[in-house]
Amino acid sequence: MRRTPLYEAHVEAKARLVDFHGWEMPVQYQGIIEETHQVRKRAGIFDLCHMGRLVVTGPDREALVEHVFSSNLGKMKLGKAKYGFLLNEQGFPIDDVIVYRGKDVVHVVINAGNREPDDRWVRERCAAGKFRATIANVSDEQAMIAIQGPASEQTMQPLCSVDLSQVPYYGFAEGTVCGVPTVIARTGYTGEDGFEVFPAKEHGRKVWDGMLGAGKPFQVCPIGLGARDALRLEAGMPLYGNEIDLTINPLEAGLDFGLDLTKDGTVGIPALRAKKAAGLSRRLVSFVAHSGRVPRHGYELYDGARKLGSIASGTASATLGKNIGTGFVPPTHAAVGTRFEMDVRGSRQPVEVVAGPFYKRAR
Amino acid sequence: MANRPTNVRYTKSHEWVRLEGTTAVVGITDFAVEHLGELVFVDLPAKGKKVGKGETLAEVESVKAVGEVYSPVAGEVVEVNAGLGQDQTPLAKDPFAKGWLAKLKVAAGTKVDDLMDAAAYQKHLDAGGS
Repeated sequence: MRRTPLYEAHVEAKARLVDFHGWEMPVQYQGIIEETHQVRKRAGIFDLCHMGRLVVTGPDREALVEHVFSSNLGKMKLGKAKYGFLLNEQGFPIDDVIVYRGKDVVHVVINAGNREPDDRWVRERCAAGKFRATIANVSDEQAMIAIQGPASEQTMQPLCSVDLSQVPYYGFAEGTVCGVPTVIARTGYTGEDGFEVFPAKEHGRKVWDGMLGAGKPFQVCPIGLGARDALRLEAGMPLYGNEIDLTINPLEAGLDFGLDLTKDGTVGIPALRAKKAAGLSRRLVSFVAHSGRVPRHGYELYDGARKLGSIASGTASATLGKNIGTGFVPPTHAAVGTRFEMDVRGSRQPVEVVAGPFYKRAR
Repeated sequence: MANRPTNVRYTKSHEWVRLEGTTAVVGITDFAVEHLGELVFVDLPAKGKKVGKGETLAEVESVKAVGEVYSPVAGEVVEVNAGLGQDQTPLAKDPFAKGWLAKLKVAAGTKVDDLMDAAAYQKHLDAGGS
């Protein structure tokens, strides 16, 4: 299994380590529930070194990204980041990504499990379109560390060379953290305020320890992938492989905010326009289980004898104190308040569609 | 080595059983509890339910997983630790006593000698536990 530059720190912190897409990663330290509360109430830090990062440069860098990215790069201000997809010709996502528009460079953060397919896809499209752009895969050269939670800015400011109050939500700046040069982005995947930084891998541990030290007044601690998954689900954010994959298009998953269907020349957008015009046969809904049983990926959903679809994600939400999930159902069953059942290994348990996201922070 | 009771027998799938005459008390081990992580629900069988040896007796939900509890013996459920449906703390903290799951009426002469004793169970865990 592959290990990140922070592996030793996880072992020292007695994390429970699991295989995540071939990476030996911390799933939890103190416990998923406690870690979820820590991020919502104070702040926690995350090892995201396993995620992939592409750096696109050259005169046609923006034209190339515009060609493969479902959202509209041209409408983004310099220094801003945006969520979207790399789509195949049929409009299915090869991955969901965050694109950062810099002055001379475009950064693309991709999922750990899709590093190779994404890299191959972007290079193929670059060659096919004869774009004058260079794609550098810096995934193994950079660390990636996030801090998420209301105490993030207070923790990070003393470590940072830039005035973080001037970095807007989904904006980024170049500077230093703990003296180490990095992009400092006000991004994340938990529904909280926070930052993501990308120091060279040999400085990863220094930045990690620096953030823990500066966060002591807020009991800042490391957060595992278990709580990360719960946090993103509570915040209504999709996970590739659950809410979207090569068989589920972003329209079905309700992720229109990551699409610009008016764009020309972007792979997959014409296919999605056609799918939208034809009408969708299923929708992703958020639901609460009126049951002690926890919704889990793959459980089937029923209305009586009729199978509706299956659960994409589920968890026992620490923040809500309820069992929550997302799942695909026909549009007839997608309205808020609709009740149906999940099949928990042969036992039917009632669930009810609610308005997503489950959690939204006060701003 | 963990301090596990010696008056119970253990299964490879991490249940324990204690025979008291024709009543079998069943639970899951400290290893099972630790492995599941934070417990959030226990789905207990209905009284009167008949289960065969190795059949699903209960299901234990944690935040990250659901664990099936296989009955170490054949019998009829006569009592369950109903409070665990609401509060799983006794199971999390004291799986061999306050955290018992169900009591089964078993046929006279039922034996559990084929199951592991505490020392053998520890060896099973040392070998990976699966």
